[in-house]
Order: sequence, then C-alpha cells, then structure tokens
Amino acid sequence: MHIKFERRIEYSKKVLLAVPVITIGLSILVSSILLTILGKSVPLTMYSFFIAPFENFYSITEIFLKFGPLLLIAQALAVGFRAKVWNIGAEGQMIMGAVAASAVPVYLVESTSIFLLPAMLALGALGGMGWAAIAAFLRTRFNANEILVTLMLTSIALQILYYLLLGPWKDPMGFNFPQSVMFQDEALFTPLFQGTRLNTSIIIPILFTIAVWIFMEKRFGGFKLEVGGLAPNAATYAGFSAKGAVWSSLLLAGFAAGLAGMSEVAGPIAQLQRSITSGYGYSAIIVAYLGALHPLGIIFAAFFLAVIQIGGDVALVSADVPISAVHVFQGLLLVFYLATYTFVNYRLRIHRPGVLQSAKVSS
Amino acid sequence: MKSILKSLAKLSLAATLAGVFAHSAATAEPLEIGLLTPSPLADVGWSKALADGLDKVKAKHGDKVKINLVENIQEGPDAERIMNKMVGDGNKFLVLGSFGYMNGGLKLAKRNPNLSFVHASGYKVAKNFSPFTAKYFEGAYLMGMAAAELTKTKKLGVVSAFAIPELISTINGFALGARSIDPEITVDVVWINSWFDPAKARDSAKALIAGGSDVLFSNAQDTPSVVSVAEEAGVYVYNLNSSMKEYAPKKYLGVVKTDWAPFFMASVEAHLAGKFKGQNQWLGMKEDTVVVEDWSSDISADMMAKIKATEAAIASGEKHVYDGPLVNQEGKEVVAAGKRLVDGAILGMNWHVQGVNSPLPK
Repeated sequence: MHIKFERRIEYSKKVLLAVPVITIGLSILVSSILLTILGKSVPLTMYSFFIAPFENFYSITEIFLKFGPLLLIAQALAVGFRAKVWNIGAEGQMIMGAVAASAVPVYLVESTSIFLLPAMLALGALGGMGWAAIAAFLRTRFNANEILVTLMLTSIALQILYYLLLGPWKDPMGFNFPQSVMFQDEALFTPLFQGTRLNTSIIIPILFTIAVWIFMEKRFGGFKLEVGGLAPNAATYAGFSAKGAVWSSLLLAGFAAGLAGMSEVAGPIAQLQRSITSGYGYSAIIVAYLGALHPLGIIFAAFFLAVIQIGGDVALVSADVPISAVHVFQGLLLVFYLATYTFVNYRLRIHRPGVLQSAKVSS
Repeated sequence: MKSILKSLAKLSLAATLAGVFAHSAATAEPLEIGLLTPSPLADVGWSKALADGLDKVKAKHGDKVKINLVENIQEGPDAERIMNKMVGDGNKFLVLGSFGYMNGGLKLAKRNPNLSFVHASGYKVAKNFSPFTAKYFEGAYLMGMAAAELTKTKKLGVVSAFAIPELISTINGFALGARSIDPEITVDVVWINSWFDPAKARDSAKALIAGGSDVLFSNAQDTPSVVSVAEEAGVYVYNLNSSMKEYAPKKYLGVVKTDWAPFFMASVEAHLAGKFKGQNQWLGMKEDTVVVEDWSSDISADMMAKIKATEAAIASGEKHVYDGPLVNQEGKEVVAAGKRLVDGAILGMNWHVQGVNSPLPK
C-alpha cells in the first residue's frame, strides 16, 4: 500500500470552507494536550482564551485595539501574497513607520498644532513605504529574494530604533532610559471612550479594507497584480508589468504597516520606545493566511487572532499559563492551516496493491 | 461515544464555572499582591530576588496575603493590559518589576487611588506609586576591592544591560573600589541592551576575557551566562541580586544581593494600615536591602578585614562611595576632596569615573 497526493482538477470548495474550522479545532486539541502535560486546567484556559475577553467593556475595546493593526497589515500582505510576493518584513516596515512618525513630536516637543497628527500619518506611511521600497528595488533590479531581504531589513529597522532611543531621540529628562519624550495630546489619536485605549485610528484599517476589497475584487488592477506575480511572462505578453506587481505589493504593505506603526506610537504607547510592534508584523502573516487571503476572510481572521491574543493575556494572569503557550497556540494555527490547506488543491489517494492487481485482471 | 463526549463537555463546563466562582470568591478575603516581571522566574536573578522578597511577606502574614506571579512580560504596550487585568482580578498591591512598566503603571495608579504600587528602577512618583531602586554601588565598591587583590592583568570587565543611571553608578562604584586599592586598574564595559539575552551575554563575556579582563561583573543580567563563562575560562566573577555560586563553584567572587523583603514588608504593612505613601525609595546597606555575601575563599584575610571595615563604614554612613575627590573619564574633577556627590547626581548619573575605559553609548 502506498499513499499519494493527487492534484484535484478543480479546488474543493467544501474543503476550503472546512479548513479554518479544522485548523482551529486541531490547534485547540493539541494545545489542550500540552496544557494537560503542563498541569494547567484546560477548561479554565480555554475559558480565558475565548470567553473572558468578552466579559467586560474594557476588554472588548482592547480586542478592537489589537484588531486594527492586524487587519490593516494583513489586508496589505494578502494582496502581495496573492501576487506571490513574499513580504515577511511587515514588522520592520511597521517599526520604520513608527520611527518616521515619531520624528514630528520628538522635534516639535512644544507644538500644539492641529497638523501634528496629519504630518505623523503622512510620515508613518512614507516611512513604511520607504523601507519596503528597498526590498522592491533589490528584487526588481538584482532579483534579490524578497523573503530574505524583508526579514533582514526588520533586524536593521530594530537597530535603527535602538540607536535613536539610546542617542539622539532619548528623552533628555528621562534619566538615560531608552525611550523618547511622552507625546503631547495633539500628537495622539483621541480615545473613543473615556478610560480605554481604543482610539480613532481604528477608522484606518476599516477604510483600507474597503479600498482593498474594491481593488482586488471589482477592479482589473487586482487581476493584473495577480497575473504579474503568478505568471510574469504571461503578464508581459498581456502588457502588464511583473515588476509593477512587486513594487505595488511591497509599497502597499509598507504603507499599511507604516500606518499601523504610527497608530501604535500615536495611540496606546504615546511615545517611541523599544517595543512598539507587539509582533503585529508577524501575526498579520498568520491572519492573512487564516483569512484565505480574501478581504472578508481576513476580517474574521484578524478578529479571531485579536481575541486569542487578549485571551492569552487573560490566561497568563488568571489561569497561570506561561506566555509561551500563547505563542505555541498561534504557531499551531499556522502549521495546521498550511497542512489542511493542502487538501483544497490535492486529495489523498491510497493505492492498495491488491486492488490494483484485481483491476488489471478484470480489464 | 456521543454520550461520553456530552458528559465530558458538561463536566468541563461545570469545572470552568466552578473555577470562575472559586476565583471571585477568593478575592474578597486576603490582600492580593501581584508581581509582574520582565524575565522568567528562574532559580536565580532579578525576578527571583523580587519573588523571594514577597515570599517572606507571605511567610510573615500567611493567609492575610496572597501572592500572584506573572512572569516574562515584555516591556511594551501589552504590559499595560496585563497590569489592568491583574487589577481587575483583584490584586490590590502591585509590584512592577521593570522600568518599562512605568508609564502604564502610573496611569493605572492614577485610575485606582485605593491601590498601592511599587515600581522598580523608575523615577516617577505618585500618591500611591513608589519607585524603588537599590544602591548597588555600595556592594560593587566592596567587590572592586576584592577584585583588585585577585586580578593579575589589572583589567576588569563588565557585561551590562542598559546605560541607565542605576547601572552606570554601579559600574563606577566597582571601579572606585578597585582603584582605591590599586589605581592602575581599568574597567571595560560591554552594553548589551538586554536584561535577559543568554547568547549575547555569553559572547560579550568571552570578548572581555579575550581582551584581558580576569575579573568579570555580570551587571543586571538575569541569566547566569556570564558567570558560567567565567568559570569555564578560569576568571573570577560576581553578579547582582541573587547568588549564582552554583554556576561558578571555583571562581565565584561573591554576590551583591538584594533583599527586598524589608521594603516589601514595610510597604505592604503600610498599605494594610491605609498609610501607604508614594515616595522615591532608594535602598542600600543601611536598609538591609543591599547585602554582600558568598565571598570567595581566595580573598586574603587582610583584604577581607579591610572589606568588612569598609562595609561597616558605608552601612553606618560614615563613608560614602561617592566621596570626593572624584574625577571623570576626561580627567576633570567632578567632586573635590572632602565633598560628597549629592543624591540627585547619583540617581541621574550619566558619566563614568576615571579608570573606566569604555565610553557610554551615545
């Protein structure tokens, strides 16, 4: 007997719909086993993960606070992934967006101008795009692999951030601690509700999602982008630009990640400091795939991941589960997703020698 | 099969509910004390020392207090939510174990005036928010004296976390102690910008040894990496917060230990009595917070007597590590003979004394 993967002639819609359910189910199952081995209460942990985040208003606003950047970055990454442009450096683009935007309040400490926030938005977007443009240039000019380039640029972005915080951008009154001044209120988004951290920046991912959805689903541009990535030669014959697909994918991701970074420093953090991304740049990759690279799917995936990240914090405090368990859970999601997704395009065929022989005889 | 699954589901739901109710019922009784730490609560190091301090509070007050530990939390935006959750879960006294929790913790303190907060290594104060810092330099000075006797290369090396005043003043204390015995001694510093990065700490320790240092100081490193590298290479080593002798049984110079129990005890009792008052807490030998122990037996009896005399003088306040004359790296006199550096200048220290080779990161 041997087992073989056979390519389906047409992808299976049934499997496609089942994939997220099976993925989440298997992830819960495996992490339950791990939790049991750790000696933690599985029901309490699962309760913390999935139900506790909805228990009070503050916690619900925190879900949306995480939902925003995840949604924003994942939508942009998905466009690139559909065009087979593997930008895994959204984390670095996010850092550079935050850095560029922070230049405004760092250098204009006294300013109370209403243009602070718009200037930060513009610089945040440009910072992310500029960082992504390096990878786009290297890919289109020298055919340098964008997976490696974007990943390594993330490390460089981090070093730039650390340098600025230890040196020129350090808060002069901050006793040498590696962080900038606290930003003035005019450089911050307005909280939506008193006492919460959820702020007006949530509008950005929502608008961006609508724009991406229209572009990818309703416009010819989305099609050109996909062809450019999938079949560069075909794209050239048809008069579309393969290089254009690389550039627009990366710039779009840089734009979104840069804005996400800006929204963090002009939102819940209110200063530039060493850790500003909460790992959104990486989590967004999981979100993009869990949402099947589709604008609507990504909305659900971003919400789901935001819930389990908040739930992870609850589990940490209330169920005494180590923070690594949350990371393992996220990792499991991606692994099981990739494993089960194979079955959308392939089917498992089990060949039993005996059956084959009898088939031969009868023919 | 189905019925088994069903009853299992019911059982787990029941267990969940029971767990939740038990949890909320328990919060009514004892004072819940929450500790948030930036690194794992390993067997040794900073976080461990904080947890040990709270253990003693628990030992004294028994059922009147309950300690909740939340470890390994990055100093970033998520920390604020986690602190919030800790407060929501009923913790009334919070120990925030890292400087990066400062702004989030302060916001929380202002929103919850009935709660008390103590915050490590920071500088902001509120009515119910006390920053606390140890005068590590007092212990480091004694270590410098011991190192001066044992070094052959006259070069000492420091693997250090962040260039914040607390750590800078500790390195300066080390250099001053060593040079009080032998003015030819110099100190090299590597800043690794992390409290907890075993790989980087190891590499930096090796680099210092290769550069000729034969006594190492693991400054605010929450891993025993530097200590074990020193043992392997056969050079002396000491560290802060909790003893790591088991990682360097032969070459362990000693530990500048922090015993947070007296401070935590007083703060918790003040909170219980409704008298907690936020203020800068700067604690040293006098307060029994900085304790030097596990001295290496390689130190001569003469030197040990000298060290003990200095220790007593510092604890009594008769001697101060930052008594003049003090000269900075550029050779300029900062404090004249007979004068003493003011507290504010030590708390905000951003310069090295003469004898420290490495520049501060700019």
